[in-house]
Amino acid sequence: MPDGMKISHEELERDGFSQNPFFHCLVAEVPPQHRTKEGYTLVGYALYFYTYSTWEGRSLYMEDFYVMPEFRGKGIGKALISNVARIGKEHQCVRLNFSVLSWNTPAINFYLNKGAQDLTTSDGWHCFRFDREALDKLAEEAVKQ
Amino acid sequence: MEFSIRVATLEDCRDMARMIAELAEYEKVPDQVKITQRDLEQDGFSKNPFFQAIIAEVPEQHRSKEGHCKVGYALYFFAYSSWKGRSVYMEDLYVMSEYRGKGIGKALMSKIAQLGLAAGCKQLNFAVPNWNKPSVDFSLRQGCWNVTSDLGYHCMRCEGPALESLARGEAKH
Repeated sequence: MPDGMKISHEELERDGFSQNPFFHCLVAEVPPQHRTKEGYTLVGYALYFYTYSTWEGRSLYMEDFYVMPEFRGKGIGKALISNVARIGKEHQCVRLNFSVLSWNTPAINFYLNKGAQDLTTSDGWHCFRFDREALDKLAEEAVKQ
Repeated sequence: MEFSIRVATLEDCRDMARMIAELAEYEKVPDQVKITQRDLEQDGFSKNPFFQAIIAEVPEQHRSKEGHCKVGYALYFFAYSSWKGRSVYMEDLYVMSEYRGKGIGKALMSKIAQLGLAAGCKQLNFAVPNWNKPSVDFSLRQGCWNVTSDLGYHCMRCEGPALESLARGEAKH
C-alpha cells in the first residue's frame, strides 16, 4: 500500500530515539559483499513497543516485521522475530501480539507454525480505529464535558 | 447523573483491580486475570510505566450498593504506526453495569482521545470481540471503523510455550 505511509524519517528519529521512545527497532544487516544492487546492507527490520494486558501484564506489540524479498528464505525473518521475543522475555513480557492481513497466507502460516494463535478466527477479536478526523471529534466531546 | 473523569493515581489500583475482575466476568473469562493490585501499582506508577489509566467517579450520593464511587475506568498506552506515527491503544474500557447508558463510557473514550491528541497521536486503536454487539455498536456510533472487517487484519498472539520457543529460536540461528 504505497500511499499509506505518512511519516518522515525525522519523525522516526524523534519518536524512536529520544528519552521516552514510542518504539524500538531491530535491524538485520548483511556484510558489504552481500549488499543489494542499490548498495543497501540493512535488509530487514522489526519495529515493536511495550504494551499491557490487564489479565497477564507486560506484553510486546510487533508493529512491523520486514525482510527485503531478495533476502528471504535465509532465516533472517526468524532471527528478527526470535530476538524480539527474547528481548520481551528479558523485560518480563508474557505476550507478543501483532497483526497479519487475512490474505497473507505465507505470513499466517509462518506464524501459526511458530505456535501463534489467530485471535480473530478463534475468539472473534476485531481491531477498531479512530483516524485523525474522528479522533478530533471525539476529543471535542471531552472538552465540553 | 453527575460524574467526573480524572487521571488515575496509585490509590486507584485497588478499584482498578476490582473492575478488571468485573470486566473479565462480563467477557465470560473470569479465571484469566493473573494481574494483581500490586502488579498494577508497579507497572503503572513507576518511572517507566507500561500503561496510563483514567477513572470515572460519581459523588457519594450515587455510590453503588457496595459503597463504590469509582464506577468506570479506561486503561491505555502509547503505541506506534510505522505509517502514521504516534498512536494510542485503549486496552480496557469498562463501566459498572448499573452506571451504563449515562454517557460515562463515551466520556472515558473522549478523555483518552484528548490525552492522545495532546501527546501528538494521530490514531486511537482498540479491539472488541465481534460477538459483543453492544460494544461493537457503541464503538461504531462514536465514529471509528472496523479495521478487521474492512481491511482483513487479524489479531495474532504468541504466548506461553510458543513464546519461549520463539525466544530460544535465536540461539539455534
